Amino acid sequence: MSDSIVSINQVTKDYHLGKVVVPALRGVSLQVHSGEFISIAGPSGSGKTTLLNLIGCVDTATSGVVKVAGQDTKLLSERRLTDLRLHTIGFIFQSFNLVSVLSVFQNVEFPLLLQKKLNAQERRKQVMMLLEQVGLASHAKHRPNELSGGQRQRVAVARALVTQPQIVLADEPTANLDSVTGQQIIDLMKAMNRERGTTFIFSTHDAKVMTHANAVVRLKDGKVLDRVTPAEAGLAMASGAEAH
Amino acid sequence: MATLRLLLQVAFRNLFKSWVNVIIGGIIFFATFLVVTGGALLDSVDSAMSRSIIGSIAGHIQVYSDKSKEELALFGNMGGEADTAAIDSFAPIKAELEKHPNVKTVVPMGTNGALITSGNTVDLTLARLRGLYRQNSAEGETPERRAQIDSLKAHVRHLANLLEGEQETRKLLIRDDEREPTEVAALAKARSEAFWADFEKDPLGSLEFLENQLAPQVADGDLLFIRYVGTDLDAFQKSFDRMQIVDGQAVPTGKRGMLLSKYFYEEFLKLKAARRMDLIKEALEGGQKTIATDPQLQRWVKENSTQPREIVYQLDPIKSQQAVSRLRDILGSQETDLAKLVSEFLKVTDENFETRYKQFYEQLVPLLDLYRLKMGSTLTITAFSRTGYVQSVNVPVYGTYQFSGLEKSPLAGATNLMDMVSFRELYGYLTEEKKAEIAQLKLKSGTVEVKRENAEEELFGEAAPSTLVADATPGLINENDQITSNGAALRNEDLLKRVYAQKEIEEGMVLSAALILKDPELLDSTLAELQESQALKDLKLRVVSWQKAAGLIGQFVLMMRMVLWGIIVILFVVVLAIINNAVMMATLQRVKEVGTMRAIGAQRSFILSMVLLETMVLGLVFGGAGAGAGSALIRWLGKVGIPAGSDELYFFFSGPRLLPTLSASNLIVAFILIVGVSLFSTFYPAFLATRVSPVTAMQTDE
Repeated sequence: MSDSIVSINQVTKDYHLGKVVVPALRGVSLQVHSGEFISIAGPSGSGKTTLLNLIGCVDTATSGVVKVAGQDTKLLSERRLTDLRLHTIGFIFQSFNLVSVLSVFQNVEFPLLLQKKLNAQERRKQVMMLLEQVGLASHAKHRPNELSGGQRQRVAVARALVTQPQIVLADEPTANLDSVTGQQIIDLMKAMNRERGTTFIFSTHDAKVMTHANAVVRLKDGKVLDRVTPAEAGLAMASGAEAH
Repeated sequence: MATLRLLLQVAFRNLFKSWVNVIIGGIIFFATFLVVTGGALLDSVDSAMSRSIIGSIAGHIQVYSDKSKEELALFGNMGGEADTAAIDSFAPIKAELEKHPNVKTVVPMGTNGALITSGNTVDLTLARLRGLYRQNSAEGETPERRAQIDSLKAHVRHLANLLEGEQETRKLLIRDDEREPTEVAALAKARSEAFWADFEKDPLGSLEFLENQLAPQVADGDLLFIRYVGTDLDAFQKSFDRMQIVDGQAVPTGKRGMLLSKYFYEEFLKLKAARRMDLIKEALEGGQKTIATDPQLQRWVKENSTQPREIVYQLDPIKSQQAVSRLRDILGSQETDLAKLVSEFLKVTDENFETRYKQFYEQLVPLLDLYRLKMGSTLTITAFSRTGYVQSVNVPVYGTYQFSGLEKSPLAGATNLMDMVSFRELYGYLTEEKKAEIAQLKLKSGTVEVKRENAEEELFGEAAPSTLVADATPGLINENDQITSNGAALRNEDLLKRVYAQKEIEEGMVLSAALILKDPELLDSTLAELQESQALKDLKLRVVSWQKAAGLIGQFVLMMRMVLWGIIVILFVVVLAIINNAVMMATLQRVKEVGTMRAIGAQRSFILSMVLLETMVLGLVFGGAGAGAGSALIRWLGKVGIPAGSDELYFFFSGPRLLPTLSASNLIVAFILIVGVSLFSTFYPAFLATRVSPVTAMQTDE
């Protein structure tokens, strides 16, 4: 398909621990289309985070081609990669990663400041809109440590979306949250995906979360096991059924 | 702009987040405080001291011979006077220097030191006796005067007896039987009935015997070291306007004479008990000290009460009687021994000091000689001349002087002023009279001047007289006759009356010259211009600033500054290391935050400026507080003033109080230092921070 926003071809990634070479990915290929809501699943050490790092342009592959928004990341300078992240990708982290000395508003505004595209008024409008969407408009002046875990992750979602990126990467976004709050975050992400058409790629090993994805890419030992719908992934359905 | 505001906000919020920052802040605060206050204080002392040095002796610039072996040191060096070469004539130098448009006056100078003996009790008593005999012979004897003479004679006799007793004790103490036989004989004669019985037959001759033989044996006259500056006294007084005459009068224009420094006069020539009473009074008036608590004051009181001898020796029987009765009245005592009464009287306390001080000056002092040298009397100064022989010159003391503001400074007070002609003579330079005297001697003895280059030819050549040695027949030259030749006779009395023309004062040797500038602000440029002047180079002159001319003293502030900067440098090295470490730690703690920012899209330059800005804010906030506190302190001190705690400080403070001022340069230096040090110490950690990979943001910390 021609409209793949992320295109990964025969990618390997090795980590060097001293003299030992640890292969994290051993020839992964993956196409993600614009507007997809994809879950990357797999046990610990299967290479989920490595794959997300490559897609997120914070790391480069040992071999193979990673194309994000049509650009081969290997050919870009560190500077250009940073710019690519700033303008094309939004990040949601497992442990929220908010800047503790900044207020909720400032945290969300931060990527806009880096972009230097909007003036103060436009930024304000944009930030407040996002905060309203995540239901935290009234908390704009709070500091992150005054918020609950779920609220913090919602701020992170707002921060990831404020620049209207094409892709949002979320690494275990619900792992640090209780199941109810986790569910709310997934619902929020899903809503954003629906309303804005933003591509979401998230890793999780929570079967319940996977059920919301329109595709599940299962990794094992650095290789793509398969790419299925949640329905096809029997395990996911089963655990979903169990939960009911 | 908005980014900068955000960064500043981040920086400020991070400021008090960790206690490490507070510690660094504290050190920075202290260091800036030190830079500001220390710098301001030293600058103030520097300028105060420059006023002291410039205003007392040095002038703005000093000029001296380039042939000098050592550098000029107007206030003396560690080991005495600096070895500077003489400049043969002052006049051409003056003419050359006055060509410079910024030179106001040129004052000739020469410093030297000599030993003098301040007269002892016997000398003083004998001098008084001589005075009475003179009056007698001029106006005829009165019964009153006779009584005084008898009393003084009895006093001298008493002193001779006391001296014999002392000599006996000394013999026991040092086991030295070898007393000079002439001294023993003289002392025995002075104690004998026969001598005193015959005294009136030839009173002046008897006095002379006592002056020559007895007085030198009395050891209570001090050998004093006196430092003097030979100068054109009129020019000096005009040029150094802080100088003021205290006692007596200025030396009349063109005459030989000295002005003693008031400090020197008080400190060394005043009756010691009186000096100590003055010092106690001064200390008590300061309001800080009491006799009951201050060991120094207690020592003075003790010295006064245990050493009544100085006073008792001065009093002849008549005056002793008066003193006894006055002291008995004051003390309400029945004691008859004068020494005990004086001792009791001088045992002062905080309660009775004020009355005792008044009584001392009103009742006791009129009976005494308060100073060992009176204004108008002649001081015999004996100095080693440049060529090594001893030169003695009589110089009348006309008065005392002081520099306003430096009254109490021993340093400024150490210098006595002398006329240029006497100075030259003491220095071993041939004055006009001496040249005349030598010419006369040559004429008398038929000496022929022989040039060095043809000496051999003239002395031993064919034309030389063959009876070169034979002339020195014993007895041919009457030695006594030579000594009392016209020149020597002239020296005794007439020289002191002679008035020297300005030309004579200026056309002669000097050691240095002080320049007073019209515009002191231009000191540096004037100094440079004079140093470059070819004419001065041709005259073989060295031109130095007051600071260099003052020798060690001038370097004092420089040394203090070096110590201060040493401390500051150490402090800042510590600050540097600590900041470096702390920022490193902070960076490590914030790896995740930095990684997140990088992941979200912050460039490395952003991270770099963030870390640098944070340290800079830290430095500026605490440094600013330190500078503020420092300036506040200096401003406060500038209003209140720092009192000169000891007399020595008067010189450095150029007066009783130092009013420090803060100059912009102190603040600028502090600012640059703080910003520089904080930036410098942060570069490496900041660089490390930029190397934090965005991957770290993804890593989960347990």
